[in-house]
Amino acid sequence: MTKRRMFLRMITASLLRRRSRMLIALLSIGIGATILAGMVTIYYDVPRQMRAQMRSYGANMLLLPEDGETLNSEKLANTLSQFPEDALVGAAPYRYVRLDMTSRQQSFTTAGTDFEQVLKTSPYFSVEGEYPSGTRQVLVGKEIADTIGVKVGSSMELTWQPAVTASTGDPSDDWQPGAALAGSAEGFGGSMVSVTAKLDDEAKISEITVDASTQTPEYGGRTAEDKPFLKQFIGKALPLEMGGDIDALTGATVTSTAVVEALNTSHAAAAGAQPRTVRYDVTGILVTGGEEEGYVFMSLEDMQSLTGEDKLDVAELSVSADEEQLNGYVENITQSGQGVTARLVKRVTKSETAVLGKLQALVFLVTVVVLLLTMICVSTTMMAVVSERRREIGLRKALGASDNSIRVEFLGEGMFLGMLGGVLGAVLGFVFAQVVSVNVFGSSITFQPLLLPITVIVSMAIAALSCLMPIRRAVAIDPALVLKGE
Amino acid sequence: MALLELKNISKIYGELKALDNVSLHVDKGEWVAIMGPSGSGKSTMMNIIGCMDKPTKGEVLLDNVDISKESSKHLTDIRRDKIGLIFQQFHMVNYLTAVENVMVSQYYHSMPDEEEALEALGRVGLRERARHLPSQLSGGEQQRVCVARALINHPELILADEPTGNLDEANENIVLELFRQLHREGTTLIVVTHDPEVAEAAQRTIVLEHGRVAREIINENFVD
Repeated sequence: MTKRRMFLRMITASLLRRRSRMLIALLSIGIGATILAGMVTIYYDVPRQMRAQMRSYGANMLLLPEDGETLNSEKLANTLSQFPEDALVGAAPYRYVRLDMTSRQQSFTTAGTDFEQVLKTSPYFSVEGEYPSGTRQVLVGKEIADTIGVKVGSSMELTWQPAVTASTGDPSDDWQPGAALAGSAEGFGGSMVSVTAKLDDEAKISEITVDASTQTPEYGGRTAEDKPFLKQFIGKALPLEMGGDIDALTGATVTSTAVVEALNTSHAAAAGAQPRTVRYDVTGILVTGGEEEGYVFMSLEDMQSLTGEDKLDVAELSVSADEEQLNGYVENITQSGQGVTARLVKRVTKSETAVLGKLQALVFLVTVVVLLLTMICVSTTMMAVVSERRREIGLRKALGASDNSIRVEFLGEGMFLGMLGGVLGAVLGFVFAQVVSVNVFGSSITFQPLLLPITVIVSMAIAALSCLMPIRRAVAIDPALVLKGE
Repeated sequence: MALLELKNISKIYGELKALDNVSLHVDKGEWVAIMGPSGSGKSTMMNIIGCMDKPTKGEVLLDNVDISKESSKHLTDIRRDKIGLIFQQFHMVNYLTAVENVMVSQYYHSMPDEEEALEALGRVGLRERARHLPSQLSGGEQQRVCVARALINHPELILADEPTGNLDEANENIVLELFRQLHREGTTLIVVTHDPEVAEAAQRTIVLEHGRVAREIINENFVD
């Protein structure tokens, strides 16, 4: 038999045959290791867990078209494919269009979006009724619903005015002889007034049609029909001057000014574009307490079939990542050359980072305190073990054990305990973390294989450290005590 | 030839002279008993012979090596190599079996050898009790294990401190019989005792009183 085998035999015998005392030491190391393993697991899992929780604060990234570019479904899909699958919580596209509700002479900003994604990016949205699930259904913001008196189950007709313009840039470029022009401007109460006109061979107005259906019929509304008012425009070249070229219709100054302004900013009219009116069922009233209450929401498909174009103004993304990663994503998207830029919603990302940092610091602190307590506990137990075994240590020394042998034996016992406690702790710690995770965060965690060796090594180190004082005491024992017949 | 020689040793604790100018000469193979009442300096002398203490004055020659000036680390080495110890309280490691207790001595000395340890237990008649824990052995059996442990490394000197102090007469006789065997095999024995019967088993008895050698008795009836 080798010395090593005898050494192991002595240590295991000491641990196995002196169960009660060693159980206490093992228990204290085991509990320490459990908390350690649990806390480490939570420490590394908390950001993941909390991020998922914090995503309920709403989108933390916005995708916008770069200047002069447009965003559409395809570009959005390409951009989203750059995110790791598990990082992207949700991505809600938005297309904002001003639609008119002719019957009430109101117009509302209407958002075409994907409600499934909205549920993910804006989980705080609260809907009385239901989200639209089919075509020709809308969700109406509470503010609008209160103003026009719609309820869940009622319906509303919305009219899309074709893009007055087919081109951009300086309007006067479009004022060519024979051109068909379209323009719009804000009239009374912020409602839009649309004007279409034709120019003759000399680029002078030959025909004019005013759509003032959003204006009060008795006042601004008359601009559409009042012949003397409209006649003023014929034969005049753009731009027009209010008060000079055109006199306002009495009692409809604002609307008259809007008509002039619409012509002065008019572009060549999109060919064949006709206003479209669709009846929508109201499936729900949106309550958020925020500006969303002033919007009407419909599915992106409805919006596309109404306007006939695939165009997005913005996409709101909810991304589960820390600030550094988010900045990395922003960089990638901006550099991908899709004509899409990404922006972080700082208010959300900053507060997330701050909260997570504090939480991790707290967990770290608790872990350190627990490890210190474990050390004190193990040290005390080992101290008691040494006093209890004074005679045995004296005997060993009398039999010829050197100080180093005594050190190695006690350290061996301590580290063996540390190893057992570590294995125990790693397993129990995972269970502990799992229970915490399920109860606090409502989701389970996966076992990190690296946790086992780390916990075992740390436990052994803690046990070894705890043994230093007791070992000093053991070495100081006088072998002669065994002779005195104590 | 002298195995152990104490030359005018004194051990002084402050005012107290535990040993006062004591000399002793023990030949190789000799069996010597040391007697004396409590406080006579027996324990001090035993500690010094057992390399667990050093005299304040004087020389101690063990196997012609002066151990009175050695460091305690060296004393440990010398004790391990040359001396087998037997104690009044037996002192077994209570969580190790009989054979493991014998092997502990081998472990510190050289190499544990279970066969050899079992043989040593056989010599003291406990081979079949080898796997028992101390708590499962009687006092006499425990002391016999300790004898086996003391002789396992073939020491020059066996130093026994009241080896029969906690034993009944039957076990006392068994232990003394083991000593006789060891003596016949040429082992040097020094037995500290206050039991005259145990002392009478030795060839020679040194009587200590107040830290001095009061008298020396040669046992005329010594049976080899």
